[in-house]
Amino acid sequence: MYKAVIIGGSAGSFQVITRILSSMPPNFPLPVLLCLHRLKHVRSGFVEALSIKSTLPVIEPMDKEQIKPGRAYLAPANYHMYVELGNKIALSTEEVVNHSRPSIDLSFITAAQIYREKLIGIILSGANRDGAYGLKKVKDHGGIAIVQNPAECQVKTMTETSLKMTPVDHIFNTNDIIKYLQKVK
Amino acid sequence: MSNSKYEIGIVDTRAVIKALSGIGYDFRDYALTAFKHRLEHVISLHALKNADGLIAKLLSSPDFVDQFLYDVIPATTEMFRDPSFWRALRDEVLPEVMKSVRPKIWLAALDSGEELFSIAIALKEHDLLNQVQIFANYNSDKRLAQIKAGLLDPRNMENNEANYLRMSGHNSFGSYYTTKGHAVVFDPELIQNVTFLKQKTAITETTGAAKLILFRNRTIYQNHFLQERNLQTLTNSLVPGGFLALGIKETLENTNTSNKFIVFNENEKLYKRKTM
Repeated sequence: MYKAVIIGGSAGSFQVITRILSSMPPNFPLPVLLCLHRLKHVRSGFVEALSIKSTLPVIEPMDKEQIKPGRAYLAPANYHMYVELGNKIALSTEEVVNHSRPSIDLSFITAAQIYREKLIGIILSGANRDGAYGLKKVKDHGGIAIVQNPAECQVKTMTETSLKMTPVDHIFNTNDIIKYLQKVK
Repeated sequence: MSNSKYEIGIVDTRAVIKALSGIGYDFRDYALTAFKHRLEHVISLHALKNADGLIAKLLSSPDFVDQFLYDVIPATTEMFRDPSFWRALRDEVLPEVMKSVRPKIWLAALDSGEELFSIAIALKEHDLLNQVQIFANYNSDKRLAQIKAGLLDPRNMENNEANYLRMSGHNSFGSYYTTKGHAVVFDPELIQNVTFLKQKTAITETTGAAKLILFRNRTIYQNHFLQERNLQTLTNSLVPGGFLALGIKETLENTNTSNKFIVFNENEKLYKRKTM
């Protein structure tokens, strides 16, 4: 019924995303797009670290890579990651947005425009407002908006800003995010 | 750039592309989502409200067309982006390139001054700047004027310097520029011998017989058809044994030109044209 899950996170999200990836059903029917703030000049190490416990293959895509179900696509360092027509990844070196490249807003906005009501957007812990507008766009296009419970977040700025901007569908602790994703079809 | 205030649809995007086509600029084969995003950026920047506003401005104001080209093509916003690429270029590729007499180095899609000044500095630090011929394509007169004046975006200087240090530059980065108020002015002497070639949207002007071509992070804005066309043009412009540099997330794999090259450095996406 859905076509993709997109997850955005920044400071304090690494352990959460690791837990989520380690609990995904191996036959998960959708692609998972990950836009996580990271050091711009460190190209390697992140995808490897996420892969260790992940049940899904974690990929740092090349430009125009075809998006396939059951895989996690991590936005590469120093590139914005878009969803392009034809269910492909498109990368961009455009200006930083919200001091960020990759920008969570840009990934969420383009995913929302392509997948519309068939997208599940999740915002995790973070120290920046990047992602809040993107989650609003997911909701505007009829998708599902989920925010990690700020009380559980190491850094609350990103989730609290998201909640101010968008009437979300769910405010979940990590365990509930995991349970929710296990039921997704 | 902040988030664009305006969102336009695919139909609007196609309408702008059609209007551009009518005035001689063919953007039909740009990657649609990214191009739509660029159009939203331009509409937002110039308070044009919507796609119709942009089209009206493009058709009524020839001066605005150059400004549009300046804004719509994403600029490379860092000098020495991917420092490990620049180290490989300097330490592995330039020694090969310099085996030719006055080799041609071509920046086939010049979108800002950052890459041009980066390569000029890399060459100067090995006393090679006067031993090569540099060619650079451009499509906006405004952009060219800025580059010739040595004006790079002052907001990126911290990043530029960090990248320079990471690629282990041999000099003091501060020796290459002066500051005037908020502006940063790179030494125009670094690029005084560069030949600039004006192009529209596809690569039409070529140097021929280039020994090194930089085309980094440009195919990402193009669809498969335009990628193939540009890569073919670049391949034809390279001498056997010449080098092609793409962005680190671009690849020749699965393109029609891949069989013309060997992979010289996989991580840094450096390709070498086969000799036969």
